[in-house]
Amino acid sequence: MKDLAAPLGLEGLRSRSKTERSDAQFFDWRVASVALCVFVGYYFGAKVGFALTFHPHPVSVLWPPNSILLAALLLMPKPTWWLLLLAAFAAHWLVQLQSNVPPEMIFCWFISNSCEALIGAGSIRFLIGSPVRLDRLRNVAIFCFCGVFLGPFLSSFLDSAFVAMNHWGEGGYWDIWRIRFSSNVLAALTVAAFIVTWATRGIDSLRQLSRRRLLEGICLLLGLITISFVLFNGMVQEKDSALLYVPLPFLLWAAVRFGLQGATAAISAVAFLAILGVANGHGPFSEKSAEENAVSVQVFLIFMSMPLLFLAAIIEERDKAEEALRGRDERIGLAAESANLALWTIDFLRDESWMSDKGRELFGFAAIEPLSRELFLSRVHPEDREAVDAAIESARAASKSFEIGYRLLRPDGETRWLISRGRYVSNDDGGVRELIGVAIDITAQVRADLQLDLQREEMARMSRVSSMGELTASLAHELNQPLTAIASNAAAGRRFLAQGPPETKVFEELLADVAADARRAGDIIHGIHLFLRKCEGTRRPINLNEIVREVLRLLHSDLLGRGTAVQTELAPSLPVVDADPVQLQQVLLNLLMNSLEAMQSTSAAKRRIVISTTCEANSSVAVSVRDYGNGLPADDVDKVFSHFYSTKPNGMGMGLTIVRSIVEAHGGKLRAENVDEGARFSFSLPVTRKPETREGA
Amino acid sequence: MNKEKKLVCVVDDDQSVRRALGRLFRSAGYAAETFASAEDYLSREIFEGSICLVLDVRMPGLNGLGLQEALETRGACEQIVFITGHGDVPTATRAMKSGAVDFLTKPFDDGALIEAVKRALARGEEQLRKRRGRREARGLIEKLTPREFDVFRFVILGLLNKQIAAELHTAEKTIKVHRGRVMQKLRVTSVPDLVRISQRAGVAPAGDPAED
Repeated sequence: MKDLAAPLGLEGLRSRSKTERSDAQFFDWRVASVALCVFVGYYFGAKVGFALTFHPHPVSVLWPPNSILLAALLLMPKPTWWLLLLAAFAAHWLVQLQSNVPPEMIFCWFISNSCEALIGAGSIRFLIGSPVRLDRLRNVAIFCFCGVFLGPFLSSFLDSAFVAMNHWGEGGYWDIWRIRFSSNVLAALTVAAFIVTWATRGIDSLRQLSRRRLLEGICLLLGLITISFVLFNGMVQEKDSALLYVPLPFLLWAAVRFGLQGATAAISAVAFLAILGVANGHGPFSEKSAEENAVSVQVFLIFMSMPLLFLAAIIEERDKAEEALRGRDERIGLAAESANLALWTIDFLRDESWMSDKGRELFGFAAIEPLSRELFLSRVHPEDREAVDAAIESARAASKSFEIGYRLLRPDGETRWLISRGRYVSNDDGGVRELIGVAIDITAQVRADLQLDLQREEMARMSRVSSMGELTASLAHELNQPLTAIASNAAAGRRFLAQGPPETKVFEELLADVAADARRAGDIIHGIHLFLRKCEGTRRPINLNEIVREVLRLLHSDLLGRGTAVQTELAPSLPVVDADPVQLQQVLLNLLMNSLEAMQSTSAAKRRIVISTTCEANSSVAVSVRDYGNGLPADDVDKVFSHFYSTKPNGMGMGLTIVRSIVEAHGGKLRAENVDEGARFSFSLPVTRKPETREGA
Repeated sequence: MNKEKKLVCVVDDDQSVRRALGRLFRSAGYAAETFASAEDYLSREIFEGSICLVLDVRMPGLNGLGLQEALETRGACEQIVFITGHGDVPTATRAMKSGAVDFLTKPFDDGALIEAVKRALARGEEQLRKRRGRREARGLIEKLTPREFDVFRFVILGLLNKQIAAELHTAEKTIKVHRGRVMQKLRVTSVPDLVRISQRAGVAPAGDPAED
């Protein structure tokens, strides 16, 4: 800082920055070092510029100082600009004094030079904002228009005017304007672009390159320098201007493989060597006068570098977009994988399709099998296919999204439950361009739900069976009392008789008691009917086929457990009956349990039940349960319906009584008969009559 | 058949069962009383003779098993036949362990019930007789003086008068007098009768550790 502060007379400033630390942020070492760089750069840039000045015009072929100042202004925050301008001014003064330029001219030139940098930096910063990064086509375009064209264009008027005003040099106003404009354009294109690009990305970006890329870059640079040196510095004797295309492959190589950093470096190298050659009178630009040669090399370099910068920007932009896309794809892929999602797209225009690996695995598609709606539908469970197709079709017709749950029948026979969401993406002209979608595997969830349903059914069945059992038990207890009393009274009567002629009064009482108890027992039985009739409120029109299916579902595990096959012969169209579905389920459950128990000694091969429903003359509907068990006692088939009659060792003998009560409460009939190798129980219920039309009345 | 008093008591909350059973027992020649609950039975004055309870297990209030327990603590000698609508094994086991004569499930055969009642009454009589014998023997023994009681205990031990006199540090003659009085008071004429009375009353011979 000492070097900088001493010539600038900034001792006071420095001491203040030491004492007041809060103000020090603008004057920290970084700003100071940039200012120093500006000073040094401007100084040596001007030296180079002077070296490349073709007399008699006082304007050089390449004037780097302005571009160095421009780059510094672009890179540094606005509040520090004054310091950078001061540093530049110091360097400008120092270097111009050595060239015997009068002080007014020195000052005027500094005005025009700093105007150029300020116009460029100000407008670029206004349009791009901060920080200025030349990584997009738009930014490069703005840089080229404002920094490369507008700044030199406007300031050159000022510069020429100053030269004319001070009568410096010999050229005319427009000659000076043209030469200054082109030399500054060239400087901005090469020097400013190079500095901004490399300063914003840093040398660190080189370290991130792989060894191979680094080697490639070194080869490229060596090749380019060699070619350019040979071309522009007189190694080739031919002056054919077609030779100018020789560096082009290297320049394109740099732009395509190394982006803007490569392009700006290559441009700078070529520009430096070309101008050096011209200055020394070598190369393709040495045929005409020095002035004409200077114009030629400027035009050549400007029109070569401009498209190269744009090309590099476009390539970088595309790379970045690709990288972003790849990153997004990876994130989506990760999300899809972790959520068991199948992602897919079908592009109708390009006839392309894609599906995530997880999805192909889920659907059982081969890795490269092209997707189509037909292929997708072929995997959908046949029962769901129509609904899925309809949902997709309606979404396609309206160009909107669809969502549908369905089952998947995989080639390996496994069934999985999925939910698919899809969206048709429209073209600009309204046509369907693309179908994108996602499928979620919800099999585990559905299975859990099904399990829950099964448990619920099991519980419903248990409660139904046990409520039946409870009813039976309580009935048995209720009936026990009067029956015990009747039996005891009868026994007492016999004993009285055995002891001799009985007392009439005692016997009268006894018989009255017997009659009362018999009535009481009858009342209990009657109570079942009453109880069942009380449930009439819950009656509704039902189809007995439904009852059969329901009960079979309830008994499913029992039937499996007992290894019994059930065959159903259900009438296809059955008139409805008015009934309490729960009670009818109990009837059927009871008959089925009876059949199952009757077949306990039947061999497994013969063990089966046939359930059939029939419609009898449209007036009644019958359900029959036929088993292949031992059959009923041949002599008293009807006895099975009487109370306490049981062929089972542990049976209470109440089940069929209640079954009959229920059937009769519904106005139906229960029958039992022996058939070949078993028994058949059947009940019939009257068909609900349609309400009579009242119009006639 | 001895002429002891016998009574069958039916405890059942169901009136018709109660009435029918009462009638059945009367037809079989027993005196029968009926009670609607366990509490009703407990409030009846204690019957002196042999008594059989025909008891329903399930009753509102104190149930059959509860009544059985209550009677046990009262120290009466009722014999119990249980009848029940639901004969579950644990209940039956518990009732039988507590000394029930039988456990019958409704509906039951009348012959089986009467047979059970007969057994119960017989067992009750047996217990009553034992109890009565002890009470009588004790009544007689209580009339002995302490000295006579001591001599009584040595006699049933099988000692001769001379030996007893040595034990009690007195003259043989005195012992002979005491012995005569004991025989007279206990209304027996022989030593074996004397031993039988001591057994009925639960009096141990002298020197028996149980007596100390």
